[in-house]
Amino acid sequence: MSLSGELLPAGLLVLLAAACLLDRRLYRACLSFIAFALVMALAWWRLAAPWLALAEALLGALLTGMALLHGLGRAGSPSPLPPHDHHRRPRHQAAARWLAVLVWLALAGAAVWGVSGSGGLIAPGDGARRPLLAAGLAIMGLGLWAFAHHLHLLRRLLAFNVLGSGVFLLLAGLAGPVVEVQGLILVGLVVALVGSVLGSALLRRLHERDGRVTLGDEPEAGP
Amino acid sequence: MSAPLASPPATEAALLWLVLLVPPLLGLLAWRFPPRRMLPVLLAGLPLPLATLWLLPRVAGGAVLEGSWAPGGLQLHWRLDGLAGLLLLLTQLLLLASAAYAVGHRRATELAERAFAGFWPLLGGLAAALGVIWVAADLLTLYAALELMGLTAVGMMLLPGKPEALAAGLRYLLYALVGSLAWLLGVALLLGATGRLDLAGLAADAEAGPVTGIAMALLAAGLLLKAAVFPLHGWLAPVHASAWTQVSALHGALVVKASFFILMQLWQRLVPEAQAAAWLLGALGSLAVLWGGLQAWRASRLKQVVAWSTVGQLGYLMLAFPLLAGTSAAVASLAWQATWLQLAGHALAKAAMFMAAGNLVLSVGQSRLADLAGTSRQLPLSLMTFGLAAVTLMGLPPSAGFTAKWLLLQAAILAGQWPWVIVLVAGTLLTAAYVFRVFRCAFVEEAPRHDFRPLPAGMDLIALLLALAALALGLGAEWPLALLREGGLP
Repeated sequence: MSLSGELLPAGLLVLLAAACLLDRRLYRACLSFIAFALVMALAWWRLAAPWLALAEALLGALLTGMALLHGLGRAGSPSPLPPHDHHRRPRHQAAARWLAVLVWLALAGAAVWGVSGSGGLIAPGDGARRPLLAAGLAIMGLGLWAFAHHLHLLRRLLAFNVLGSGVFLLLAGLAGPVVEVQGLILVGLVVALVGSVLGSALLRRLHERDGRVTLGDEPEAGP
Repeated sequence: MSAPLASPPATEAALLWLVLLVPPLLGLLAWRFPPRRMLPVLLAGLPLPLATLWLLPRVAGGAVLEGSWAPGGLQLHWRLDGLAGLLLLLTQLLLLASAAYAVGHRRATELAERAFAGFWPLLGGLAAALGVIWVAADLLTLYAALELMGLTAVGMMLLPGKPEALAAGLRYLLYALVGSLAWLLGVALLLGATGRLDLAGLAADAEAGPVTGIAMALLAAGLLLKAAVFPLHGWLAPVHASAWTQVSALHGALVVKASFFILMQLWQRLVPEAQAAAWLLGALGSLAVLWGGLQAWRASRLKQVVAWSTVGQLGYLMLAFPLLAGTSAAVASLAWQATWLQLAGHALAKAAMFMAAGNLVLSVGQSRLADLAGTSRQLPLSLMTFGLAAVTLMGLPPSAGFTAKWLLLQAAILAGQWPWVIVLVAGTLLTAAYVFRVFRCAFVEEAPRHDFRPLPAGMDLIALLLALAALALGLGAEWPLALLREGGLP
């Protein structure tokens, strides 16, 4: 696999992640996420991990996508959520969240630099994994920012899923598609799916009971 | 690299895995046929701690049972040492108590049949997850078990189905999920730097340097979030407010401790000498002791008092990090024993306290402290149980809390780390303050007459037995301490 052949899916992933997280129209954001997960599956395929690609397409794109759409009220259920997200986070909460995001990103970036710069990458052909690392970091940054910034619960679930995918990309980029990595990503995919299903179901119940789509008062600063 | 190991005796290994995997099956059975009486639950669960008791002498004196298995090319490792054995026994006893209490709770209140049935498979899953966490020796198994534990715990918190429970549960879910991503990123860095996941290999291969440090920081951040250590404790108190008593008891006693256990295991293997970071954790623990105590003292509802007290008591555990980092062998040994004794004593006492508080709230029908007026006459047994549990939390003799804090105090003085001495004293005073506040409310005599709802005798008995076990652990501390002295410190 050539470097330019990897740049295209990596760039596409970042674009789709941004589209998914920046769109205030929730339905479109969910569709972007499904497309994002499908491109992730393609990336696993190109890394010679076909089972992982299958799991990503099935668990990540199909089931998680369905869970999110169900949470939105599109997958055949009454009382859908409002299609737009109008919530804005008050400014005074922003500083601590930005700090947490930047600290996380700086730590991760420095460590990734340390691992990949010291020739510690194990498998040959690690040059082709450089775009994955860069895309992973960018997607993780987007996901973190969105998770810390958004109030709407569906958007926070989307942000969590994107953040998770960014971590998976970093994992695969750092250690190559070895069997340990595939095991970790598989567990991560199942957890993200269960979390999304649980979160969407809870969001629907909250919305049905008292019409809210946010957690209300936030006692804690970011991750 | 460790030398190739003789495979453990087949009987012991088989029994251990049986002990770990039977609870989910029992849980599924109870889901299909929800139990109505306490006796069948106790009879079904009792073989598990007995089997663990049979295993314990085999890991005494520093002996270790360990092995590995390889599903699909993955190399997964497990090991059972004295510490893991003790924690397994503690877990099984508390799960049994919680299960029996759940049956009584079901009889005392009107619960939705479906929610009550749903409790059992979640309990089985939680049991398996906790058991696997104590014996897992590689990061992949730990990750899977940690996630299973988190998700089953969230599920159990959601069972009451009230709007407050839903919102608190959703917040807990979001924080737990992000915590596990921080953990996964840390694992990714370690795997990228060393190419392995087993704890023994990581301890040997990981070089002290920025990458290991950052990986450990990310792992620690995820685990501290899950363990509700100050300042990441915000989700804890709301989640307990509307949860069922037996779920709160398990959560406060075991679930938050499991994250601490993993953190300690990793810390001792990856960065045992990092003194500045260890002091930072100790400082966070100290703040937790003070802040948790203050909030417990200010709380207006009984369950909130107990939940905030968990935040405070977890802080004592964090003091182990500075006392273990670069100190003399004598100090490290004292701190090591003190930490696990504190964990065990607090687990028993906190479960007892949550159950006693739950009994009080259920009988009175109100959850505010002011509504406890008159309970000293009407519900002396529940109140006494609360008091006995508080003896352990305050660290009065002869409880496990006293022995643990005494050992911690000795370690801190011996190491010359004076700040922790002040924290220990201040924490004890704060604990006394919030416990006596509860008693002051309970001993008010001129109160409007409540109708006190009678509860099944078993519910009070279970709580009392747990509180007495916390006291007995202080009197008979020599047996667990002997197991800890020789096994565990990696």
